[in-house]
This record gives sequence, structure tokens and C-alpha cells, in this order.
Amino acid sequence: MDFPQNMSMEEAFALAEAEAKLNQALSESKSRFENAVLPNRLNEDWRFGRPHKYAAALAEQLLSDTPSQGEAEVEHAGEAAVPVNADDEDLRQTEMLMPTIGSDALLGMHLERFGNGYALYIEEDTNEPIVIRYKTNSLYTPSTYIMVAPGVKAHIIEQHYGSEKGTIFATRNIQVAEGAELKVELTPYGCARSMVITNIQNMGGKVAHYSHYFACDWAREETLAEIYTPGSDIQLFSANHLDHHQVIDQHTRQIHHVGNATSNLLYKNVVDDSATAIFAGNIYVAPGAHHTDAYQSNRNMLLSEKATVHSLPGLEILADKVRCSHGSASAPMDEEQLFYLLSRGIPRADALNLVAYGFLQDVVDKFNRS
Amino acid sequence: MSLIIRNLSARVKDGAQILNGINLEIPKGEVHAVMGPNGSGKSTLSKVLCGHPDYEVISGSAELDGQDLFAMTVDERSRAGLFLAFQYPVEVPGVTNANFMRAALQARLPKGEELDAVNFYKTMRSKMATLGMDTKFTARAVNEGFSGGEKKRNDILQMMMLEPSYAILDETDSGLDVDALRIVSDGVNAMRAPYRSFLVITHYKRLLDYIKPDVVHVLYKGQIVRTAGYELVEHIEQNGFDFLKSEE
Amino acid sequence: MDESPFQIDTRGEFSFPENHKFDAGFGLTEATIDYICDAKGEPDWVRQFRKDALRKFNEMPMPTHWAPEGINDLDFDKIRYYLSHGTMPYKDWEDVPDDVKRTFERLGVPEQERAFLAGVDAQYDSETAYNNMREELSKQGVIFVNSTEGLKEYEHIFRPWFGKVIPVSDNKFSALNHAAFSGGSFIYVPKGVKVAQPLQAYFRINSESMGQFERTLIIADEGAELMYMEGCTAPKYDSATLHSGVVELVALKGAKIQYVTVQNWATNVYNLVIQRGLAMEDAEIRWIDCNIGSGLTMKYPAVVLQGRRARGEVVSISLAHSGQLQDTGARMIHAAPETTSNIVAKSISIGEGRASYRGEVNVLKGMKGCKNNTECDALLINPVSRTDTYPAITVNGNASAVQHEASVSQVDEEMLFYMQQRGLTRAQAMSLAVNGFINDLVKEFPMEYSVELRRLIDLEMEDSIG
Repeated sequence: MDFPQNMSMEEAFALAEAEAKLNQALSESKSRFENAVLPNRLNEDWRFGRPHKYAAALAEQLLSDTPSQGEAEVEHAGEAAVPVNADDEDLRQTEMLMPTIGSDALLGMHLERFGNGYALYIEEDTNEPIVIRYKTNSLYTPSTYIMVAPGVKAHIIEQHYGSEKGTIFATRNIQVAEGAELKVELTPYGCARSMVITNIQNMGGKVAHYSHYFACDWAREETLAEIYTPGSDIQLFSANHLDHHQVIDQHTRQIHHVGNATSNLLYKNVVDDSATAIFAGNIYVAPGAHHTDAYQSNRNMLLSEKATVHSLPGLEILADKVRCSHGSASAPMDEEQLFYLLSRGIPRADALNLVAYGFLQDVVDKFNRS
Repeated sequence: MSLIIRNLSARVKDGAQILNGINLEIPKGEVHAVMGPNGSGKSTLSKVLCGHPDYEVISGSAELDGQDLFAMTVDERSRAGLFLAFQYPVEVPGVTNANFMRAALQARLPKGEELDAVNFYKTMRSKMATLGMDTKFTARAVNEGFSGGEKKRNDILQMMMLEPSYAILDETDSGLDVDALRIVSDGVNAMRAPYRSFLVITHYKRLLDYIKPDVVHVLYKGQIVRTAGYELVEHIEQNGFDFLKSEE
Repeated sequence: MDESPFQIDTRGEFSFPENHKFDAGFGLTEATIDYICDAKGEPDWVRQFRKDALRKFNEMPMPTHWAPEGINDLDFDKIRYYLSHGTMPYKDWEDVPDDVKRTFERLGVPEQERAFLAGVDAQYDSETAYNNMREELSKQGVIFVNSTEGLKEYEHIFRPWFGKVIPVSDNKFSALNHAAFSGGSFIYVPKGVKVAQPLQAYFRINSESMGQFERTLIIADEGAELMYMEGCTAPKYDSATLHSGVVELVALKGAKIQYVTVQNWATNVYNLVIQRGLAMEDAEIRWIDCNIGSGLTMKYPAVVLQGRRARGEVVSISLAHSGQLQDTGARMIHAAPETTSNIVAKSISIGEGRASYRGEVNVLKGMKGCKNNTECDALLINPVSRTDTYPAITVNGNASAVQHEASVSQVDEEMLFYMQQRGLTRAQAMSLAVNGFINDLVKEFPMEYSVELRRLIDLEMEDSIG
């Protein structure tokens, strides 16, 4: 090991210890991938929505000879954006250590295909949103790394385009330093399969994350938002309108490792036709993470007889002086709202659209205000 | 031309009967007040006329300028010129006031015709000004997070925008302070015209001091039991509704 | 592990000499089942039934979605599955052995309740030790016997519903109960009969490592109404004891059943109970559940809303102190249109105690006009206390509404300060606050239980705050 010059014994010792820890974690994570099994219904994180079917189809594609092929573009990033490549050992290690919500086997397959995407090292405020665009008409497995320096304000829009029913399986590691403010929009569009594993690590900044899946047949979202420093704030939003046989399967974790921080989640779905929406969220407040404020809300509007919703909002609270709550509501469109619009002469079809649109727009408004 | 209600009986769906044969005729150009104690059926009457799904008509009819009101859907009734200012206006998250009013006005235009957006905003702003509403309200979701008084004002704004021929004001005075009451009443009075009539539902004389009715009805146990001029308001103010019981 | 105060108080740390006429020994095999059947003199269909269930029990895995991790510590070979004083229940208070009577006394069963025992089906160990139907009940045609007697004497009523609400293969523990059941109550209330007084049963475990597989079946015929109350306490032992009961309720058209449980086992008891009711058209089933004792409780009272307009309700209080995991909750299966259900669950975690809510609400395909409302509130007393909430909600179709709200809070410091300023000790203030937190639910319990509940909370607070 090479120690920098002028390093004290303590510092050298701490560095050596950190390195040993990392190596330990990496070797453990190897066994994690080797031992991982494909998702099935017995796995708590894959309980609903015929998971074996979707997970198996994605795995089959990942294990096939189809190369990971797609276009990666970035706009308005200036010096901040660096293309990721397969030789970047640090980034590969970051991905190896990524937590998943029941998808270790799939992450392992993603690692096999590692080597495309962007790393953003944001050290100055963004004037206009940085746009990252991943496109494919077959199979694409990009990775995104976002690091926001202390006190910096950034806005990022990440778009996934699956033209001709492409599959995009993306991983994202987001780190936000003290005093930084980050807004991220994630908008997968037109994918046969869309899978996104996100790990947000907040070290005292503010993060607002919004996802909107549009015209994707199957979408699996795993978003882990971790708070490591007091004063952090994380806001998670999602709004989706599902129809036909679309399935959206969203899993979130709000993890408070330390106290005096806040997190908030609002996920809303309008579910029409034979579509299915699955939401499984959890707020975890670690022992000693006192003075935590954490909220979680999942709201679903069911518009068809064949629509299905599964909602599993969870709480695990191991600390004191905590304000936590969660709510879940799944119901048809509110009759009183509909009547109010009708009573103003708006035709029924338009009124239905307006109320459903407003139900989701509410999320966008809250994200924009955050 | 008038709103004619004949022998109307109605009940809560699968529940109690609330209206027991109401007869009422409101000619164009007139302001009628309906007063009555709690539970007499005042709000039910307004909801039944607009077609609220919680209520069902048992018998009787209603005509709006010669059209069969009960044959129309809720939105058709509105476009035919019937307006209800709600006792408790509903919150509609995510839908802005401006989009809401545009949709309602657009629905009144012939097919293929587009609402003039510039004119629309101009009109909306000026009417908001008369009601003392902040123009920021155009971009806020309908009634969401509004105070009780703001909601009532917003309903009156909608009435001014939609220019109905028959407007029902269901306890519009409740939750309004004196200043707001005056502003809202001024708005209503400014709309009085020979081609428009009002049905003002209230508990109190207060509102009727501002909006002077031509005819006053007393609703009791689902029936119109008295019809007279403004002097009836004074009588009720002094004696309450007790005289109804002694007549039973 | 902290001693809970009520074990030191009237529920002291003691046990009486074991003196059992029958003892099937440790572990569960076909031989154990033959022993149980012979001892109880059961008909052949029951013997076969038990053996089939045993096979299923051995084949089935431990539950995954409906279980906390602690369940895997359980060693089925270290449990005794049948202990009894004899085959016949004691018909008369005079016939109840003195040591059993003394147990009741030491356990602090109040004087008036002991007098009330004339109408009580009290279970001592695996067998019903005392069972005396009141005149009044038999006049109305109400059957209230222990389940052994039920399956022998009333087979024509018992058998058609036995294992129908909770099938053998529902899960590993239902298979276990089907194989080893003994004791518990069988109640049948005829058409239109409304039982005025609550029917009560006391359960006791009084042997080390002894399994208790109580089996209760309650059938309320069309338009019938009853309330059943069950309370448990147990002396403390060194090694784990398993209690794995099955309670089946059947409410036929328009019937109403309320089932009240106050559970206060010693903390070395595993309390894994399956409770499920079937509510037919216009019927109503309410589970009123209070879990204070046991080291590990797993209990999720369920209502299958099988008939149009059926109603289901679970009211649940749980109290977890150090060394305890209260894994409780509720399940509502909406299998008919226009069915409604309501769940109110409140938990209090004290010291290192952990209280978890696990729930399922399922509106099946094709159902219309169904409604559920769920509220879960958790109160954390100490910085090291823990609470979890794991609801699973499924809604099919656009004509039903399901709502779930949960919150976690602490006792407001300002409120404590206010009360302390008025001269209350911190423990007294805390006790008042906690009682206030569950006050609206305590009211749902019969008087004698609610008084006892409040006293227990006072003791818990004195113990944890001092």
C-alpha cells in the first residue's frame, strides 16, 4: 500500500483499516452474487405481480449473447460528465457494493455487462438541467454515477428510451455532499422492460428524486435512499399512468442511519385497463437515529374493473423522538371531485381525464416546489 | 322562461326520503330565497336539481326553460344554464383553477371552436379583481388548501365566468366574514339581470339583507310550507322557525 | 431479561408439582398421536385426521411472509405434546382438584370471577379441567363444551365445520394443531338465539416444555349472537413452552360473533395462534385482541368476508417489554361484494421490547363496493424500543376503497412535564399518557379485563420508568 507523504501513523492506520474493510466487503459481495438466486415469489421483495415471469425474462436477455448496445448522450454537462468504461475499477467496485432490494442475482448479471454510461462530478451549480439520455432498440445496461460537491445546486434529467421495445436495465449511484441540493428526474419511456436500481447516499444535502415511467410494459424500480449525515433531506416522488397490461413494481427504502434528518415519499399511480401497480416501501430508522422525521405515502386511483394494486408500506423504527407515518389509499376516482367538475358543465370523459391528470400532477407540483 | 319544479320527492340512495312533494317556480329575472331549519332538505334540493349521484328522484319533475332537467346528465344541466355554488366546495388536487375554468368554458363552445386563451385570462383576472382574489389563485389547484371563505369566493368566481341562467347559492354565507360577505354579495348583485334568476338557500337574514329576494319560501320537512315576500324573512328573524311546529 | 412486574406480583414465579395422569413425552410422532387418541378415547376418523395432519406438518416449511425471524429458534423435538389429568372434564367445582383450585387462587382470579366459574370452561394443561354448562344456556339450546366432547357428542354439527375455516395445510402451525389438538371449546348457538352473557374460558399452562394445542370452534347459526372471552396467564419457566392454538369462527347469515382475548403468558412461551372467522351474508365478526405476555407472539386474527354485506373488525392492543416480540396484526379477505372491514391496532414498546404489526387486506377480483379502513399507531417509550409495520394491501377493480394509515410517536414531553408539575411522578404521568393512548380501544373490552389492563400498564410503567 502506498501512503501519501506527511501522513501520521493514526491516519495511515485509519486508511489501512478502511482499505481492509473495503476488501472484506468486496469479497463478501462476490459471494453475494455467486449465491444469489433469481427472484421468486418466496422472496419478500418479489412477492406480487408474477415476478418469476418478468425476472426470468430479463435474466434470459442478460445471459444471452445479445450485446449491451445503446446510445449514451449527455447535454449541458460541460466538464462534469465523464463516460464510464469497463476499465474503471473504482466505479465497478461501487456497483459491486450497491445494495439491492431482492435483486442481487440481476445486479450480478449487470456487473458482467459493466462498462457504459456516465459519471457526473458536479462541482458548480447547473444553469440548465443536465440531460443524460440512454437509448436502445435491443438491450442496454448503463450505469450512472452522480456526485455533487458541497454547497452545489444541480438539476439532472435522466431519460431512458426503449425504441422498438428495447430493454434498459440501469444502475445509478448518487452521492450528495453537505449543503448540496440535487434534483433528479428519471423518465423511462417505451421500454419492453425497464429496470432501475438506484442508491442515493446523502451526506447532509437535499435530494429530490422524481420518477415517471411512460409506456413501459414492465418496470421494476429499486430505490434505496440512505441518510448518513444529520441535516440531510430526501424527497422521493413518482407518478405513473398505467394502462393495457402494464406492470409497475416499485420498491423503496428510506434508511436513516443517523438522526436529525428528514425523508418523505409520495408515489401515486393511476391504474387503468388490466394494469397492475405494486408498491413496497420501507422506512428504516436505525438505533440511535433520534429526531428523525420520515413519511411515506402511496396513493392509487383504480379506473378499471380489471386493474390491480398491491401496496405494502412498511415501517421499522428503532429510535426515539421520531415522527414517522405512512399511508396507503387505493380507491376509485373520488365521486365528489368528479361531480364538482361535471356540475360546471365539463363532459364526463374530460372530467375523468382532468381528475386523473390532476391526481398525478399533484406529485409533479410537489416535486417542482421541493 | 323559468325553472319549474313540480311535486318533487327525492331520497338519499337506499336511504331516507328527504323531499316530499316540492312545488316551486322561479321565473327569469327573479331572486328567490329558500329558508328553513336544519335538516329541512335545503341542501338536498340543490343537489337533486344538479343531479348528485347520492340522491334519487322518487317522483315529480323539473323543467329548465322547457327542458326536462332530470333527463339530463350533471354536465348537460350545467351547460343548459344551471349553476350550483356549493355549501362545501370540493378540492381537486393537481388541477389548476385556470385549467378547470378553461375546460368548463371550452365545453360550452361549438365543436371545433377553440377558446381564446388571451381573452380568457383577461376575463378571469378582472373578475378575480372584483372579488378581491389574488391572481396567483389561477395557478393553484382548485380549492386545495383554500380557507372556507376562499373556497366560497372561488365558487362565485366560477359563476361569474360561466354566466348561468339559473344559479343556486347553497349557504354561500356560511364561513364568510362581513367583508367577504359584502364582496360576494356585490358580485352576485352585479349579475342580477332580466335573463337570469337566483335561488338563494340560507339560514340567516344577513345574506338576504345584501341580496334582496323577490320571493321567500320556507322549506320544512321536505315541503314548501310558506311563500311570501321579504316580510317573511323579518318574521323568521324575530320568531325563528318555531311557528312551524305549532302549526303541525 | 427484565422481569415483568406482573410475574412478581399476583402472577408470581411459581409452579405446582406436576401430577399428570397422561404424558405423551417429548416430540411428535405417530406414536404420540396414538397415545393421545387412546388417552382421549377418540373415534377412528379423528385418529386418521391427526395422522394425515402430522404428515403435512412434517412436509411443510416454516412460514416466510407471515413470520418474524425468531420463529426459527423453535425446536419441535423439545416440546411435550400431551399432558392430562384424565379423559373426562370435571363437571362440578367440587371435583376440581385442590391444586388446580389453588392455581386459580394464586393467579389472582378475582373472587367474583371464581364465583362466575360456574359458567366457565377453564382449561388446566391440555385437558379441560372444569366445564359446567349453565342451565340457562342448555335451555336455549346453546352447546358449550370442550372440543373433545364436541367432536364425540356433537359430531353432526362439529365435523362439517371442523378444519373448514382453517384447513390442515393452511400453514405449518395449522397442520401441527390439527395433529396434536386437545382442549379448547366447541360452541354452537342455534338460529336467532342471542346469548346475553359473555361465555368465558380460562387457559393455563402449568408444565415445563409443554405444548398446548387448544382447538376452538364456534358456530353462530343464522341471526345468532354471542361474545366469547378468553384470558391466559402462565407461570414462568426456564425453557420455552409452545402454545399453538387454532380458533375457527363461523357466523352464518346475519349472525354476530365477538371474540375477546387477553393474552398474558410468561415470556418463555411461544404464542403462535391462528384465529380466523368466516362471515356469511350480513354477518359480523369482531376480534378484540390484547397481547401483553409471551416472548414471541404471532397472531393475526382474520375474517374471511364470504357473504354479501358481511362485516369484519379487529381491535388490537399489544404491549411489548424487554425480551418480547409481539408480532400481531389482522387479515381481512373480501370475498364477497359490499363487504366492509375495519382494523384498529395500537402497540406500545417498552425498554427493548419490539411490537410489529403485520396485516393483509385483500379485495379479490370481481368484488364491488368493498371498504376497508386500517389504523395502526405505535408508541415508543424508551430510546431502545422498536416498532415495525408491515401491511400488505391488494385491491382489484375500481369499485372498492382501501385505506391504511400508520403512525409512530412518543409520549409528548410537554404533556409529561405538565403532569409532573402538578405533582405526579414521571411513571404515573407516563402511565396516564399510555392509558390515554389506548383508552378508546380498552373500552371495547369487558369491564373486568379493562380494569386489569390498566393495572398492568401501571405496573409496566413503574418497572420501566421507576
